[in-house]
Amino acid sequence: MSARNPGTELDLEWVSRVRVNTQAVLKRAQQVQGRKVVKKQWQAAWLLRAVTCIDLTTLAGDDTPSNVHRLCMKALQPVRHDLLKSMDMHEKGITTAAVCVYPSRVADAVKSMKVANSSLPVASVATGFPAGQTHLKTRLEEVRLAVADGATEIDIVINRTLALTGQWQALYDEIRQFREACGDAHMKTILAVGELASFTNVYKASLVSMMAGSDFIKTSTGKESVNATYPVAIVMVRAIRDYYLQTGHKVGFKPAGGIRTAQESLVWLALMKQELGDEWLRPQLFRLGASSLLADIERQIYHYVTGRYAAYHELPMA
Amino acid sequence: MADSRTRKVRDIFDSMESGPTSSGRPAAQAWLQSHSGSLGLFIDGSSVCPSDRQTASALDSSGESVCSALCAVDEDVSACVSSSAGGFKAWAALSCHRRAQVLRRLAAAVQKHSQCVSEVCDLFQPPSSPAALVRLVQYHAGWAQLRDLSIPDWSPRGVVAVVVSDDASVYCMWLKVLPALAMGNSVVLVSGPQMAPPSLLLAELCAEAGLPAGALNVLSGSDVSLAGKVVASTGISFLTYCGNKQDGEALCRQTAGWCVPVALSTSPGSVCPVIIFESADIDSALDSVMEAAFKKNREYQWVLYVQESVLDGAIARLKVRMAGMKAVPLLCEADRALVDEAVQEAHRQGATLIQPCPPAPSGALYPPTVLSGVAPSCQAVVSPAPGPILPLMSFRGSGEGITLANHSPFVQAASVWTEDLTLSLESVKSLCAGTVWLNSLAVMDPSLSLSGLKEVGNCTDGGREGLYQFLRPSASPPLRCFRPSQVDYATFGAPSPMVAFVPGGSDSSSPARVYQHLVGGRQSKAESGCSKAVRSAGGALLAHCPDGGPKDVRNAVEAAIKVQPSWARSPSARVQSLYSLAGSLEKKSRELAASVQTQTGVSLEEAEQEVELSVSRLCEWAARCDKERGGVQSLPQSGSSYSTAEPIGVVGVVLPDSKPLLSLVSLLGAAVAMGNAAIMMPSEKNPLPALEFIQVLLAADLPGGVVSIITGARDQLTKALANHSVIQAIWYWGSKEGCQFLQSSSPLRRLWLHPEEQENGERWTRPDASLLEEMWRQAVVWKSLWIPTA
Repeated sequence: MSARNPGTELDLEWVSRVRVNTQAVLKRAQQVQGRKVVKKQWQAAWLLRAVTCIDLTTLAGDDTPSNVHRLCMKALQPVRHDLLKSMDMHEKGITTAAVCVYPSRVADAVKSMKVANSSLPVASVATGFPAGQTHLKTRLEEVRLAVADGATEIDIVINRTLALTGQWQALYDEIRQFREACGDAHMKTILAVGELASFTNVYKASLVSMMAGSDFIKTSTGKESVNATYPVAIVMVRAIRDYYLQTGHKVGFKPAGGIRTAQESLVWLALMKQELGDEWLRPQLFRLGASSLLADIERQIYHYVTGRYAAYHELPMA
Repeated sequence: MADSRTRKVRDIFDSMESGPTSSGRPAAQAWLQSHSGSLGLFIDGSSVCPSDRQTASALDSSGESVCSALCAVDEDVSACVSSSAGGFKAWAALSCHRRAQVLRRLAAAVQKHSQCVSEVCDLFQPPSSPAALVRLVQYHAGWAQLRDLSIPDWSPRGVVAVVVSDDASVYCMWLKVLPALAMGNSVVLVSGPQMAPPSLLLAELCAEAGLPAGALNVLSGSDVSLAGKVVASTGISFLTYCGNKQDGEALCRQTAGWCVPVALSTSPGSVCPVIIFESADIDSALDSVMEAAFKKNREYQWVLYVQESVLDGAIARLKVRMAGMKAVPLLCEADRALVDEAVQEAHRQGATLIQPCPPAPSGALYPPTVLSGVAPSCQAVVSPAPGPILPLMSFRGSGEGITLANHSPFVQAASVWTEDLTLSLESVKSLCAGTVWLNSLAVMDPSLSLSGLKEVGNCTDGGREGLYQFLRPSASPPLRCFRPSQVDYATFGAPSPMVAFVPGGSDSSSPARVYQHLVGGRQSKAESGCSKAVRSAGGALLAHCPDGGPKDVRNAVEAAIKVQPSWARSPSARVQSLYSLAGSLEKKSRELAASVQTQTGVSLEEAEQEVELSVSRLCEWAARCDKERGGVQSLPQSGSSYSTAEPIGVVGVVLPDSKPLLSLVSLLGAAVAMGNAAIMMPSEKNPLPALEFIQVLLAADLPGGVVSIITGARDQLTKALANHSVIQAIWYWGSKEGCQFLQSSSPLRRLWLHPEEQENGERWTRPDASLLEEMWRQAVVWKSLWIPTA
């Protein structure tokens, strides 16, 4: 990963200056979606790049060691070898960026990776995921336990109560403590934008999270009614740019929840390229939180290589 | 790009470049091929392609010839104009419902062929989305349906010539043609070679929709001078033009003297300031302006004004956002030299360049460029060059931002960015622009008008307001054409040698009263110090009046611009002032009736009637002051939008000979009721009632300078009006030479010209609502305001 974001002091004056015009953001999002996406070999290349940015995720009540193992294996070989070979991409070491599981499954995932002799990062959600409505003490303990089990990336959720009531100082302090608890593990901060009421709050929460030392800011848990939408992403990447211009620290962005099609992943890449530049097109600074997206991308790549549409059983399942 | 097709997935994976975006234009090609690559004229319902005509090439954006367009000759023009006269009969005879039906079918046809329409538009001109065009047609189909219900007492003008220059957009062209058709006119569409393909396509779509033959004819020529021939064929009732300023002015001069009203929209090349206040969503503002400014076909020349307190942040963001941008194709190779020169000049005058990469040494590609800290005097700001150039200036406070933005003759629209409601509405009020976008830019809809101010044109397109240029009050007679006469523009209105009045003249027997005129709220003699004799119809000397000239006009304008802004601000104060004027007139009605009788020789009864009618006319205007303010428009997008009627500023009026008091009061009332200041030139022949009216004005409660009354020689005063640029509108009743002079000397002014041969004075006494409506519509400009919300 790239240099980490050390964070800064909380600058409440900066936070209070934030202005977001909702309709202008929506219009911008329409423009981004309205652009033509890349085609042919450009599409194939971009889709493979999208694969390398995926945090392949399973966050279900019925997760067991066996499906977590299958997920890890899929993460290591996300696209059929013969397809990669026909594009001369088989030596590029294409894997997803990480796998992402609940804290209690971290140990299983780490074990599977070890068996496969891979150093692919295992990410864990934490801090009372998805609602964050547990005591700070247990949330902190959760982070420490996940790190102890071998997770090298922690996706924390923020305390929406603090954000909605404008207690930015308290929010900052909490995230600071999570960051300490993470130690060397990279911290992705989930804003749960669907529950923040306004774009202005999303922008402010983004700034506070970055000041508190988040390495990534992430849209949603995937459990809210509204997930990763383009307008909300535009607000968050603008906050990332703002923070970068003010402090020189680069913070990553992770949209998550509801991203299912290859087409969408292309729009996400185009959005990042336009708003933040090529540097934010790599897993160091960009992740896609998804579970079913990979299957669709693989089918599109199959179509690019063979000119035919694959039946689901022709591609290995996760 | 030749090797781009062989790029490997591997390499793209590393570089993450975007692939080529443009694909072919199969539908447009197929359409052009169906005309075997050479487009003809469209006359009387079908495409005609006479073989022995010269052709001109239509070039696509890369400068390659796509097809050839025929250049019409005199024979074609006369065929076309006579077909249009027939077309007008057939089209106007249909019921509103039938006309609306045809237009609705046209909308369906555009939808059906949307791919072809979009590709043909795309091939040549600023792209217009088929969806926007469909909306435009549907909107006007609605007006076609409602014409007789909503706009009673108005009739179509007849045959309307719509002239488009090669740099006009298809949308602007349709915004002229569709309302003209919807109101029941027939249209002759005159275009250069570049606009010939979209024009012809429109005609074919109309034919498919069942428009009667001749209702829309298309002529193309090597340039817009063809329009002169069309006007000279004497079948045209109205000419309207959209395109660049030079061609528009030339066209105006060329057609002066035919007494065909001309309306110009010279929006291509006009300037649009974007004002970003510190209270703005700066990211959104910058994103929008970059989107609009850094593309090949720009609707406007954008100029960015940023409040100083947020300037550094704005520049830093621009740098980051622009870093990855690619060079943008220019419209043609020739533009490159202009762009280079503009950028170099700005650089010499202290501007800092922000570019993603330095420009290639030559060629029709130029990187997006921000000229930061450019001098306001710089050519890049005053009349911006084509190409992806964005001048940027800073301002201290909100007042200064607006002043800077207003300081250009070419402003058509403006965009204001702030989250502060009060500030935004104040800015909207003070901006001199036909369209103001709040926290948005470049949105358009046919229901909101696009008005030209200053040097951006003299007409209003779109919306309900835009319909009136294609209508005349049913009560006023249709126009007759005249042949232009030989007018020496240089000597027109030159002061005549001193024959006017010398001391010790012949009529010393009866001591005639010596009148003063009214300039800037005070009675005074003429600056020239000379007087003129006022004679009755029978030739008897009645009085002496000042022989006013340019200096008197100048003084009147100086006084007018001081008082007009506060006069415009309060409609309710205007109501009171005009009622007091009416009351004052009523008190002096005997004197006024006497003066009318003495001057014109009518019976006392008739004179008293004229005075009485004048009193009630003034009361009508007083009542109207706070009524005509525009309204809220409904739009397909969410948010609010308004069109408001605003005063023009200073209006110059040269009054007719007939009904000297009533015509004065009617026009004065229209001008000042809408918030303008008026400079009235009474009839040279019959000035007495106006001179008497000065006492009425002085006795009433009207701020000094709102109305000036200047007497003197008509031609000389007409010239004085034409030579003062502050006067934005001139209403003229007089000789056709005078009309010709005004049209050729002030093409971009709002001219309302009436050759006296055409007037019978009935206009003033008829009670028709449409005649009054025509007057107040002449006295206002329309401002559209967009407030989009989520």
